[in-house]
Amino acid sequence: MESLSDTLWDVVISGTGLQQSLLALALSRSGKKILHIDPNEFYGGPEAAFSIQEADAWVARVSASSDGGIFKSASFARPEEAITGLSASRGYSLALAPQFIHARSALLSQLVSSRAYRQVEFLAVGSFYIFKPSQDAGQKPSLTRIPSTREEVFSTTAVSAKAKRSLMKFLKFVLDYENSPHLETWQPFAEAPLVDLLQSSFKMDTELQTYIVTLTLSLDGKIRTKDGLAVIRRHLSSMGVYGPGFAAIYPKWGGLSEIAQVSCRAGAVGGAVYMLGTGIEETEIVTGEGEGEGEIKLRLTSGDTVKTRKLVRVDERPSGRVGISRVTAVIGSPLKSLFEATMEGAPRPAVSVIAFPAGSISTVAGKASEYPVYLSAHSSETGECPVGQSVVYLTTLTNPNAQEILNNALVGFISATSDAEPSPVLYRLQYEQLAGSDKSHIEGSVFNLPAPSASLSFDDTTLESVREAWAMVMGDDAGGAEYMVFEDREGAAEEDDGYE
Amino acid sequence: MADSNLPKPSSSVKLVLLGEAAVGKSSLVLRFVNNDFQENKEPTIGAAFLTQKCNLPTRTIKFEIWDTAGQERFASLAPMYYRNAQAALVVYDLTKPTSLIKAKHWVAELQRQASPGIVIALVGNKLDLTSDGAGDAADGSGEDGGEDSGDARKISTEEAKGYAEEEGLLFFETSAKTGYNVTEVFTAIANAIPETSLKTARGPGASHAAGRTEEQRVNLNGPRDAEAKDSCAC
Repeated sequence: MESLSDTLWDVVISGTGLQQSLLALALSRSGKKILHIDPNEFYGGPEAAFSIQEADAWVARVSASSDGGIFKSASFARPEEAITGLSASRGYSLALAPQFIHARSALLSQLVSSRAYRQVEFLAVGSFYIFKPSQDAGQKPSLTRIPSTREEVFSTTAVSAKAKRSLMKFLKFVLDYENSPHLETWQPFAEAPLVDLLQSSFKMDTELQTYIVTLTLSLDGKIRTKDGLAVIRRHLSSMGVYGPGFAAIYPKWGGLSEIAQVSCRAGAVGGAVYMLGTGIEETEIVTGEGEGEGEIKLRLTSGDTVKTRKLVRVDERPSGRVGISRVTAVIGSPLKSLFEATMEGAPRPAVSVIAFPAGSISTVAGKASEYPVYLSAHSSETGECPVGQSVVYLTTLTNPNAQEILNNALVGFISATSDAEPSPVLYRLQYEQLAGSDKSHIEGSVFNLPAPSASLSFDDTTLESVREAWAMVMGDDAGGAEYMVFEDREGAAEEDDGYE
Repeated sequence: MADSNLPKPSSSVKLVLLGEAAVGKSSLVLRFVNNDFQENKEPTIGAAFLTQKCNLPTRTIKFEIWDTAGQERFASLAPMYYRNAQAALVVYDLTKPTSLIKAKHWVAELQRQASPGIVIALVGNKLDLTSDGAGDAADGSGEDGGEDSGDARKISTEEAKGYAEEEGLLFFETSAKTGYNVTEVFTAIANAIPETSLKTARGPGASHAAGRTEEQRVNLNGPRDAEAKDSCAC
């Protein structure tokens, strides 16, 4: 077998985050010589999923290093009274990237056409709820389910008859918003906040506006009309694609982490060489005329020096944009009411989404939340925690009060979902994720992928830069090759899968 | 397609094969999946993925088998395969003592890193190279200790079996070449997977979803939009 340094690699892929892993999948039948490395001892990079022990170790590393990449201010807590409630560390798989995937996302079509989907188990994302703070001291806060299909709007008791009519009108409008006469209605508002359109053209009250904006999962709550309409249309048109009653799905065992792993496995099956715990210490571009020009010499932390034609990595330098703050909590209750099938014949959802509108949470000092908080609740069916528990992921835009707001949102959520005794928090992880570059860029033979997207549902633009990186590595071979379209490998087909 | 028989509950089980190079991991899978054997098989590159069903009296287990390359250089592949695996087959060559040492390393790593509750089977392969032969002996337990002259066996059944018992592993001696005991290994694993770890597929409340056993798993390969409309047909 050739040694690492004797080989001229076609590409060295640095990092096993989702983007690099999808690239490995895309190249898995190309015949290219691929060396795929990751400085971490685990797969998934910023999309990894951790056991409790691994999460603790990750926190220690992020805090210790002056350069924690895109993560900072990480900490964890195990409330003392809950120590007995926490199960064995490996019973957990806490996701750094708990994004769900809309049914119409191109990621799913690529996973199907590349046959990688066979190794992923997908679960339904069920209802979206709005958190309503308690009106007076004696009352509990509550969760209201957002009706997001016409059938649900019709049957809901959550809104008035008048509100139902304007909601119906709006849903009908969105499904055909790119055509006349609807086009003329919203175009004057295209760059204005979506709420302006909702107010002036649909006469919606603030509460109804909040429902709609929540469906867009906008992190700052101020989404522009043209973006907001596209997102809501995606939601509506995703409804029912893979079964009744849900618009999005979630990969079991830690979300995008699982997609990254499955993609790396496909890379390994295709012959790529994998090295964990190995980073790049030094990058040297071979210059000068003749043979080897443009090749890259990499000194690895393992001590090896390797030569490659191309290098693909992620640009982790922080940008000026605002990042997100997250709190991930293991709850000692199955939160059953959140995971009930929404209609006859629908699969039981494993994920529910709760939105805390801006202003619905306040700090001890009385400062109201400036941005919405989104909470993704995951049942044990996701494989992220043992039976009888659940995991919740809270996200908001980073601001000076973000951690306090997130923790108060968690308290409010627990109060809204608990009957008598509040459900215990068994473990809590919190951190900030910086916003890096949002565009890929090429420097000679080096392809820099953008930093991972902070959006709550999978952002399809991620796929574009992966494809560009693929085209660069493939060079002239890209012409005749179909992207991400593969036959099943021998023995891997499931002849009678599914419709039993 | 619509058969009148009530389908048995079916569940997927992720299984990973580990072991030193050239002990016969891929050959065991090939025998189990295709009932075939190749002399002088090329070493596995990276890994391979195969599926095979195993019919038990009360349920069907669909194995999703990850066969890893034994000669992988950087020990970076195995973690991506045993993550979330419900079963592992750790293979050694019973004519090669170092392969049992390597197998013990894999068992220790699985016990340290893999999912709690993973079912591990220790398999001594190449029984056809021993004087026990492979196939005729009804019980295959090799009670004679396998130290006969002309016998290539280097690891006695007692030694490996004792170790397997200590560690709570299933234990088999097999021959991928003759097929001896191969199906038995997979059947034993299928039987040993705890009911609770099959829960996803079986799901409580599956009663109203007649004929649909994997109630929660979303199928991406279905007739997409058609399915939304037809789903109440039952």
